[in-house]
Amino acid sequence: MRIGAVKRPATPEQARDLAREHGAQALYLAGATSLHFLTDASQKLGKEAKRPIDKNLGKEAKRPIDKKVAILLDRLDLRGISDDGRRYCIGAMTSLAELMNFRAQRWAFHETVRRTATHQIRNISTIGGNICRVFPWCDLPVALLALDAQMLLLGEERYSLSADDFFASQPARRLANGDLLLYVELPPLAAHMGFGYRKEVVTLSGFSLMTVAVRLCLEQGAISSARVAAGGALPFPRRLSQVEDLLVGRPAAPDTFVAAAEGVQGIPWKGREDWSDAYTLQVAKVAVHDALQRALDFAQRRN
Amino acid sequence: MATRLTLSFTLNGAVRSFETDPNERLLDLLRREGLKGAKAGCREGVCGACTVLLDSRAVYSCLLPVCLADGHRVTTVEGIGDQADPHPIQKALVDAGAVQCGFCIPGIVVSAKALLDESARPDDEEICEKMDGNLCRCTGYEKTFAAIKAVLAARQSLDDEGASHG
Repeated sequence: MRIGAVKRPATPEQARDLAREHGAQALYLAGATSLHFLTDASQKLGKEAKRPIDKNLGKEAKRPIDKKVAILLDRLDLRGISDDGRRYCIGAMTSLAELMNFRAQRWAFHETVRRTATHQIRNISTIGGNICRVFPWCDLPVALLALDAQMLLLGEERYSLSADDFFASQPARRLANGDLLLYVELPPLAAHMGFGYRKEVVTLSGFSLMTVAVRLCLEQGAISSARVAAGGALPFPRRLSQVEDLLVGRPAAPDTFVAAAEGVQGIPWKGREDWSDAYTLQVAKVAVHDALQRALDFAQRRN
Repeated sequence: MATRLTLSFTLNGAVRSFETDPNERLLDLLRREGLKGAKAGCREGVCGACTVLLDSRAVYSCLLPVCLADGHRVTTVEGIGDQADPHPIQKALVDAGAVQCGFCIPGIVVSAKALLDESARPDDEEICEKMDGNLCRCTGYEKTFAAIKAVLAARQSLDDEGASHG
């Protein structure tokens, strides 16, 4: 894949129209850090692109290089975080560094972002770019699933999708018709809620090998609702409904968390970095347990 | 014929125009222009040797398509200081013995400058968070950390002196 032309729209509507005009050749670019994973090796080495090699024939294929029309989104007014009391509204072009630096009483998302990538990446990578093309190691979708985020998009008109629907499959495919993510809305963490997050990596700034995020709602010492999500050791981030079912209606206590962590069995974990299936399962149990305990600690600290 | 893109940005204080392949990364453009301070280490956004400032933010120039620099300010290590007039962090890194093979140092200078410009009094955690994108295989980071702390201490002394005279 190569960039054949560059467009720089001034409004989301112009961006959408450009994407529709160019169809499959259109490529939205936000922070462009994931471009690295989409380009061929010769570009990464700063060389002229060659035609793609056809592995079956062992020689250069005759198919043409896929030239994209890059639609840069950096001039769109989609940056920053606002709080209207009912939700935090995050512009899709807000950088991860801005998210990391944001603090509010009913906000915990910075805990996820500060453990994502390096400072240089956080400075340029945007929330929109990070969640519209999801790689297995992406952390933000896991936290957004747990935090019950809503995505506000622009198609023919504006429309909303829950995180559950948005991440039901690869968002980039869903948005291939030119629809554009405008905002991510996060409900505030009320006083009876707790958020817990656990990420396993080789180095602090490394790609996730296991990420678990939890939001618990507590009522009189019992768990009234739970959202548990995982990624990193899964092909795609997802809710862990088996774990959630073992939490709701039970006391928020260590025994409950130990039992709930057993709910990770039966989930098709896919460990990386040569993790065996048994080790991946064990890490999943520990990560879920720790994230649950952290969510409880979070809620108790606030009350 | 290959697609060409005309763009302009402020490079180390001077407005410059370039005609380039839109696929080119900023690192390659800079080195083609003779600015060899930013190093091509990993070329995949890990090592930090290619770090430059985009406006005031430290970014990996090896990941940045040139089109995203259009209209911005780019500062490389050459625009921060030189042997005749080093930036305080450059002097501190030398004084602390943080420079051994030196390959990582341009990136570390740029990231440390961004940190020192962003935060008046960063604590240890913030220093670690904002320097986490620069790898050094020689010094083990202790001396880099000491150099940043030395600049902060000197800044604090100046502030205290100013306050006592104020």
